[in-house]
Amino acid sequence: MNFWLSYIIVAEIFSIAALSTNLLVGVIGIFSVSQAAIMGVGAYTVALLTLGHVLPFAAALVLAALICSVLNILLALPSLRVAGDYFVVTSFGSQLVATALFINWSSLTGGASGLTAIPSAEVFGFPLDESSQFLLLSTILLAATSMSYWLLMRSPFGRTIDAIRQDEVSVVAAGKDVLRAKLSVSAVSGAYAGVAGGLYAAYFSFIDPTAFDINVSILILTMLVVGGARTLLGSIMGPFLLWALPQLLNQIDIPSTAVGPLRQLIFGILLVAFMLFRPQGIAGRRLG
Amino acid sequence: MLFLQLLADGLISGMAVGVVAISFSLVYATTRVFHVAHAGLYTLGGYIAWYATERGLALGLACVLAMAGAAAVGGLIQQQLYARLERSKASPLVMLIASLGALAILQNLIAIAFTPNILSFSNSWRLETFAIGPVTLSYAQIVLAIACLIAFFWLLWFTQTTRHGRRIRAVASNPLLAEITRLRPATVSIQVMMIASGLVAIPGVLVGLDQAMQPYTGTLVLLTATIAMIAGGIGSLTGAFIVSIVLSVLQTLSLAVMSGRWAIAATFGLFIVFILIKPEGLFRKR
Repeated sequence: MNFWLSYIIVAEIFSIAALSTNLLVGVIGIFSVSQAAIMGVGAYTVALLTLGHVLPFAAALVLAALICSVLNILLALPSLRVAGDYFVVTSFGSQLVATALFINWSSLTGGASGLTAIPSAEVFGFPLDESSQFLLLSTILLAATSMSYWLLMRSPFGRTIDAIRQDEVSVVAAGKDVLRAKLSVSAVSGAYAGVAGGLYAAYFSFIDPTAFDINVSILILTMLVVGGARTLLGSIMGPFLLWALPQLLNQIDIPSTAVGPLRQLIFGILLVAFMLFRPQGIAGRRLG
Repeated sequence: MLFLQLLADGLISGMAVGVVAISFSLVYATTRVFHVAHAGLYTLGGYIAWYATERGLALGLACVLAMAGAAAVGGLIQQQLYARLERSKASPLVMLIASLGALAILQNLIAIAFTPNILSFSNSWRLETFAIGPVTLSYAQIVLAIACLIAFFWLLWFTQTTRHGRRIRAVASNPLLAEITRLRPATVSIQVMMIASGLVAIPGVLVGLDQAMQPYTGTLVLLTATIAMIAGGIGSLTGAFIVSIVLSVLQTLSLAVMSGRWAIAATFGLFIVFILIKPEGLFRKR
């Protein structure tokens, strides 16, 4: 019972993270392997604010979303200045620098051992420490982010960004502010990642640097690619399918050192196979 | 004196990064694929050589075997993955994600076969050192420096003067024209991948010999190498090699004042500033 609740909650948290990646990779076509880093900043923000009793959970989550939004804009800026491939380097780099910060800034982040005993979520004094109660929160937030994504894509603004991806020069020629459009999408994407991170911290009540390292970024990217980029359904289907995989691997009797690599190996195979045979993912549309 | 010692260490590790950078640059200029799986081939080379020496093979032979193994896998990635994607008119983003997948496959196969723990070569002489004035170097470092310099000058000679090298440069500068003039870009691309993968195995083996190996360390090496390639100017092998050395020296020297993890962050920060100011690199030429 609790196992299923936990599975759904984590899959929902990753769905929000996948929507964040979707906005960058699918919608504006900026490659990103640093969404876990942003998510981590959100998680550490919420953890530190609630651990120190500076802010209640709800306010901390809003603040985390804001911080991540600004941070995501800063990280996306180089991609607007330099051609596509260079941004791969800055994206990899951002992820590695973030992990280095989480590990080395130990006075703030607890270093490699991470932060423990993070208070569970409560909204307006109403505690959500049971899994079933937390499920309500994560479902509502996933619904809210999905709704905002859907509305964003349907709006005239959404059509502009879709046009930018297809033919940027024409959009510039039509007098649209491409830079501002891309920055706005990055801001929304960052906010989603911040929310996902904050939920993660409150749900597990424990975070450490490995929860937000490059493997997690690749996991989120794989979820998106398998589900299907540029679609709402894909961003939700991918996490639910792929989060089942670690649970299945736990059932098999293999040496504990091989579990992590085996999981990453399967993700790698999925990435290659989907790119070769179905680059649009299960539900998606053409990528890039 | 600490300064000279760090300078020497930085120079030598810079040559290793330099070989990664020039081999990556060769692939990138010819096939236009941002080949992140290159980091996996670097790692693969080291582990092949480790396995071979553990089975009693001499290091020289093990290194040749590692180069051949990496070249074969590299050629396979080009033929079975990148070439197929190119035929289906895949976007650069799709190519990149596929390459990332290939990297994950390589690294994790290695981690499953050899465990993710640190491995080091058991040769007795690799840690023996000798002193030149105030600087102490290990034999492994000397071998690494010589091999990487040979690799660099060989690749320069190969691409500048040989018939094959000129074909590669022709495909790099205009794939369509190369196709029309029957240079067969598809074959050339496979050759390029094999050469680059064989070359990247050299630092893969010898850095492993000098220090130690882990399945995932290649990613960071490749990141530094790509920074060097971009800062050196894409298409310039000499630029990529020199900037690799400069970066490594700076990184190593900074160890005197800050911890290793921060040094990476500092390098990367410098790169962002650089790329915003001078995106075409220092030594750009086509």
